[in-house]
Amino acid sequence: MPTPSITLEHYLILGAVLFGIGLFGVLTKKNAIAVLISIELMLCAVNINLLAFNKYITPEAFIGQIFAIFVITVAAAEVGVGLAIIIAIYRNRLNINLEDFDWLKW
Amino acid sequence: MLSVWGAVLIFLIVGVIFGVGGMLAGYILAPRRKSAQKSIAYECGVDTIGPTWVQFRTSYFLYALLFVIFDVEIIYLYPWAIKFQSLGLFAFVEMIIFLAILVVGLWYAWKEGAFEWT
Amino acid sequence: MQMDFSVIIPEIAMVSLGVLVLILGLILPKKSLPRLGWFTSFSLIGILALVVLNWNNVGTVSGGLYLIDQFSQFFKVIFLTAAILVVFGSMAYVDKHLGGQAEYYSILVFSTLGMMVMASANDFITMYLGLELMTISFIVLVCFRRNDSESLEAGMKYVLLAGISSAVLLYGLSLIYGIAGTVLVVEVGMILAVQQSLPLLLVGVVMLVAGLGFKIAAVPFHMWAPDVYQGAPTPITSFLAVGSKMASFAILIRIFVLGMFGVSLSWGILMAILAGVTIIIGNLVAIPQTNIKRLMAYSGIAQAGYILVGMVTASQAGVKAIMFYGFIYIFAVVGVFTAISYYYNLTGSDEIKDYAGLSQRSPLMAATMVVSMLTMAGIPPFAGFVGKFYLFMTVVENYLWLAIIGLIMSMVSVYYYLMVVLVMYRDRPQDSSPIVVSLPVRMTLIFTMLVSVVLGVYPGPLSEIINKAALSFFMH
Repeated sequence: MPTPSITLEHYLILGAVLFGIGLFGVLTKKNAIAVLISIELMLCAVNINLLAFNKYITPEAFIGQIFAIFVITVAAAEVGVGLAIIIAIYRNRLNINLEDFDWLKW
Repeated sequence: MLSVWGAVLIFLIVGVIFGVGGMLAGYILAPRRKSAQKSIAYECGVDTIGPTWVQFRTSYFLYALLFVIFDVEIIYLYPWAIKFQSLGLFAFVEMIIFLAILVVGLWYAWKEGAFEWT
Repeated sequence: MQMDFSVIIPEIAMVSLGVLVLILGLILPKKSLPRLGWFTSFSLIGILALVVLNWNNVGTVSGGLYLIDQFSQFFKVIFLTAAILVVFGSMAYVDKHLGGQAEYYSILVFSTLGMMVMASANDFITMYLGLELMTISFIVLVCFRRNDSESLEAGMKYVLLAGISSAVLLYGLSLIYGIAGTVLVVEVGMILAVQQSLPLLLVGVVMLVAGLGFKIAAVPFHMWAPDVYQGAPTPITSFLAVGSKMASFAILIRIFVLGMFGVSLSWGILMAILAGVTIIIGNLVAIPQTNIKRLMAYSGIAQAGYILVGMVTASQAGVKAIMFYGFIYIFAVVGVFTAISYYYNLTGSDEIKDYAGLSQRSPLMAATMVVSMLTMAGIPPFAGFVGKFYLFMTVVENYLWLAIIGLIMSMVSVYYYLMVVLVMYRDRPQDSSPIVVSLPVRMTLIFTMLVSVVLGVYPGPLSEIINKAALSFFMH
């Protein structure tokens, strides 16, 4: 029995599943922080894709890894801004439930 | 003959037994005598004052936010530090500029009172 | 490693300006902060002059990662012009309603820098960085009225939807990187041209279209636009409407027309359908709006549809039409929004019915709004007509139905624009005291109106310049 090894497909499926979970969370969650977490999951899926492609498609260049580093840092900045807005909203309205954000029409 | 994955499976089973078994043994063996003293929140052995469900000050969140942002930017320093010898002066100057921009951000946060604890 | 830094001097100047404005805000006394607006606008004019003077100074930086050609130079001129007009138009608004001048102008400069990077980016990483620099700056600007719930709510919606759209876009980019094995757009184009179509590539293309569709607010990814436009400070709304949209079009053109030219059959029809639906929905939903900012948001969605028409054929004529229309579009949008924000300053209202009798109170503001709106509707003497003519000519041959939809819906748009005009010119004002327009706002209004008229009557020279710029885009 040959040893099954992990191939590119495995990583891509993992990435796709993770992306799907994130997308599901984004579309169904009502809490703003949960939506932010789901977005982070989607970005994780992207990073897995990038690193897998880097390992199997372009092993001699580090394009995918560099891309992943940039994705991580930019995601941190985005989440920082998102959380800051959530804090500001909480101060104003003591509530971060997305369903109540209907002052503007959705 | 076990395949590689068989070993992983055994490891998994043993791991689950080890963790769950310990908790289960404690649950079965330990004596349970409830008292009011036991159900209060533990705070270094001292009696708690006031309600235990308190809200954290938003200052903590501000610290956390600033920490996350500055912490993650450091990721750029690692590849540069590893290749420092071969990159030379030009990359060094670039990194100084990068850090200088970060310092301006820090200065701004300081001036805006993000580090004040009032 | 030797690099030719002279070609990226405008970008370096933008970074320095952004940081400098922030530092000035830290060290200057509070009462001299309003002067930062003048400082920023004149510095931006200087940088615009730099770009124009270096028009033919083209080249690449960092081994082809960053590309300066006439195409990107032209887009930089668009963004800088929009930024300058927005700064001029927003000084009164910022001083009265917002405060925090240093942060405001600094972040505005950084978002403009993000757009410039997007226009020049030749690889996915740089594109993504430029896009996020712009988007995050805009998020901060949208919720700049931080004690106002509407503004914060708009910012919240924008940050969540921007996050989702970037994640989707990135997933698409990662798939295309996996298929092509490179992130350089030009190389991706060469590889995809010889490779046959994979299902994975199709998934990647759809994800890219969805992600960028969010940024340009194309139907069905437009839901955020009306809310964000309404909640954001008005000057920012105008910058969002032109800058964010045109910068996203710049990378849309770069990725699709240059990077996926070989598989244009598979996405041409997709773009055509998207454009058609966007034009129809945007114009129809605009009709019943009562808030002028929401009306402009839906009309902006429709405009995105018109511009998308230029993408369909992936040709030089299409790229040229998009660039020409984009140039006209900034002046029209900034003209309308400057008037709106100045009127809001005085009356505190954005409702269309409160614009009654504006023509008697301030003929200049009313006239600017009329000219800008007619430009957007594409009525002949004004510049919008020429722009729409170029756009629809590209699809007449192969997608005649799209051109017909565009024409019919342009007529529909005349209806709701004229409703606003009617309110301004026919109805009696409640308070008929004349409005005194401050100097920077008056300059902006007159300038935008003049451009809309002059380019409509005499589009020749601009068209020539854009032709050459569009040609340079295909020379790689």
